[in-house]
Amino acid sequence: MSLDISFIGILIGSIMASSVPLILAASGELITERSGVLNLGVEGMMIIGAISGFALMVITDNLFIAIIGSMLSGVVISLIFGFLTQSLLTNHVATGLALTIFGIGLSAMLGKDFVGIPGKDFPILFSSLRESVPFFGPILFGHSIILYFAFVLPFLTSYFLKKTKLGLIVRAVGDSPVSASNQGINVILVRYCCILYGGGLCGLAGAYLSLIYTPQWIENMTAGRGWIALALVVFATWSPIKVLIGAIIFGGISILQLHMQAVGFRIPVQFLIALPYLMTIIVLVVISRDSRKIKLNTPTSLGRIFYKEK
Amino acid sequence: MATDLRISNISKIYPGCVANDNVSLQFKSGKIYALLGENGAGKSTLVKILSGVISPDNGEVFLNEKNLKLSSPLDAKKNKIGMVFQHFNLFETLSVFENLSIDATEDNKSLRVRINEILKKYNFNIDLDVPVLNLSAGQKQKVEIIRCLLRSPKVLIMDEPTSVLTEQETEELFISLKKFCDEGILIIYITHKLKEVLSLCDEVAVMRKGKVVSVSQTQNEKVETLANKMVGQKLAKIKKKINFSKNKDEIFKVKHLNFYSDDPFETNLVNLNFSVKKGECLGIAGISGNGQNELFQILSGEIITPNTSIIFRNKEIAKLNPKQRREYLMAFSPEDRISQAAVPELKIYENVALNNFKSSNFFEKGLVNERKIKEHSKKILSDFSVNTDNVELKSQFLSGGNLQKLILGRELITAPELLICYNPTWGLDVGAINYIHETLIKINDQEKSTILISTDTEELLKLSDRIAVIYKGKLSKIMPSDEVTPEKLGILMGGGSID
Repeated sequence: MSLDISFIGILIGSIMASSVPLILAASGELITERSGVLNLGVEGMMIIGAISGFALMVITDNLFIAIIGSMLSGVVISLIFGFLTQSLLTNHVATGLALTIFGIGLSAMLGKDFVGIPGKDFPILFSSLRESVPFFGPILFGHSIILYFAFVLPFLTSYFLKKTKLGLIVRAVGDSPVSASNQGINVILVRYCCILYGGGLCGLAGAYLSLIYTPQWIENMTAGRGWIALALVVFATWSPIKVLIGAIIFGGISILQLHMQAVGFRIPVQFLIALPYLMTIIVLVVISRDSRKIKLNTPTSLGRIFYKEK
Repeated sequence: MATDLRISNISKIYPGCVANDNVSLQFKSGKIYALLGENGAGKSTLVKILSGVISPDNGEVFLNEKNLKLSSPLDAKKNKIGMVFQHFNLFETLSVFENLSIDATEDNKSLRVRINEILKKYNFNIDLDVPVLNLSAGQKQKVEIIRCLLRSPKVLIMDEPTSVLTEQETEELFISLKKFCDEGILIIYITHKLKEVLSLCDEVAVMRKGKVVSVSQTQNEKVETLANKMVGQKLAKIKKKINFSKNKDEIFKVKHLNFYSDDPFETNLVNLNFSVKKGECLGIAGISGNGQNELFQILSGEIITPNTSIIFRNKEIAKLNPKQRREYLMAFSPEDRISQAAVPELKIYENVALNNFKSSNFFEKGLVNERKIKEHSKKILSDFSVNTDNVELKSQFLSGGNLQKLILGRELITAPELLICYNPTWGLDVGAINYIHETLIKINDQEKSTILISTDTEELLKLSDRIAVIYKGKLSKIMPSDEVTPEKLGILMGGGSID
């Protein structure tokens, strides 16, 4: 294997692609958690998004409908979670776990007829530049629009939370729902919106897997990425930019360790497979050491049930 | 423009409790009104109704003869009713400015200008860009007041505003409130502190068990008359004989107590040294958040600090955990009854069993000896006049006063040599406070010692033989309490010096 410049460019491009579903799902979950809601159903919502996107693509032969449909399916399934936790006041953790189990089961059932059907090429942008620009070509160009969106999203999220009124309201609700309610903010509505937003992005993350990253339907194809996204949010201490860093590290080392296995490094395979998890945690813990900042970013009411006095 | 607020026949019934029973009151601007009552008298329910947090089952509210429909806090805001709750409605992790801007309708620039005008006008000194969790309780309250003022309120309701303030801060607050009143804002001041009513308010309405029992001019009232109206019976006066004597044995001695924490919510303690004599009550005053929590936890053994020496009855106990310290006859009553002293979901007798001793035989061969625990619990309930004899009752259904009696009873029934308590009467009503003060004095009379960490200066002056003040983790010199005045304490609590 030659480590020439163009190979490194391609490698970086593939690392970026592999981190997209994590960025999307984690950015969505981040907003949900910032409003004080702990939704452990990320994996379930992603897999539902993956099968809905793929099935719609096969049925309608229209990628646009498939992408929108996958997001809507994420929204719908998160609405179940929202209704249970916000309107019926069920426990966030148990409901989220149930949602994941439900999502995996439902997707396997819906997906039976779609196994083995080949996917479709997803349009990529600037494909000519990818070939003509050396090194940066494969990094910057020739990706799907979803990838560009994913890499801008953490910055938008950060801007939303820090600079906009709505972002302020989301943070306020996550900090103290009782105070927010006493200020006349409709806590339940805000939390519903954040849950649905998170659901939509998880659906999109799933569709990215089944339509773009490995264009086909395989049962249980999210393979734990939802859980990684959840962990990223916590280890990144609810900071969108750190989520991006964490997702890239995780994606990067996942890809790198495959290459290392292929080259035949004399390191046990099990260790290589564990490496992405290990490194991501180490890096995120190191960059999030400031206990003061953690306190300011952590949604104080996370996972606690809120109900309005009558 | 004059404001006239009228409450007419308000009733609110919760399962098993009539919180407001046909309450009618009338308020006019230009005066400060007190709403006085014990805990559970229905004051908080009434103000929650006025601020739209809850809606009444019956009755109406009129502002300038306009019938108000207050079904959400927004309605109260729109009708220019401002409210400062006892438990602040602030977002701790957001900055002061973010807290104020969250419900503002104008853009940030003009809002900042308006806030600065208010800060200047009322002489408030607050940095707008720090997170609220960095502020003192007094500053947080000012943020709440500014939030109300930004909406140019006609009515300002203050719910137990001084429970977290120092004497100085209280004085400042009173000056501000009088200013607001002169500017035509109608002020309703809710409290159970009688002296405040007399020094601040023009008219006072007393509530008891959900009903208004009296409305009168404060100039016609005295502390005793108001107390009797509030409680519905005559209260005995408590006075302690100070028994500070130099030649008694030291039973408890702390040397080189240092504590360092990375947590921004915790206070570091710097070289604390003190001792307690037999039969003495050592009071430790201070505004909450100056290290009392940490001190209590170190004294009780929840936190073990290196290089500290704690001698108790001639034994070194600095390395022992709370259970081991209890075996040496220490007892503890933490500040937070619900989360630290008792488990609210457990029954009374189970809570009693939590405090088990080797000698108590509550557990035999790993099994719970229920009969024994229940007998023991019944004795506590009757000895400490807890208002129930049902040991199967879940502790969360006890009122604050009864729960505190239960906790003190649990601690004291083993006849400890030293009781360490932290804000034992916090949030309790006059009757319960009286009982607990009597109990604490009785302990000293029996030649047992107490350390009383409290934020209530009046309580400290009443019960302590010697007093020290803790400020930012440092302890002042220890003074005999007959040489101490509330003013002196206030200066020390605010970080000043009296020499």
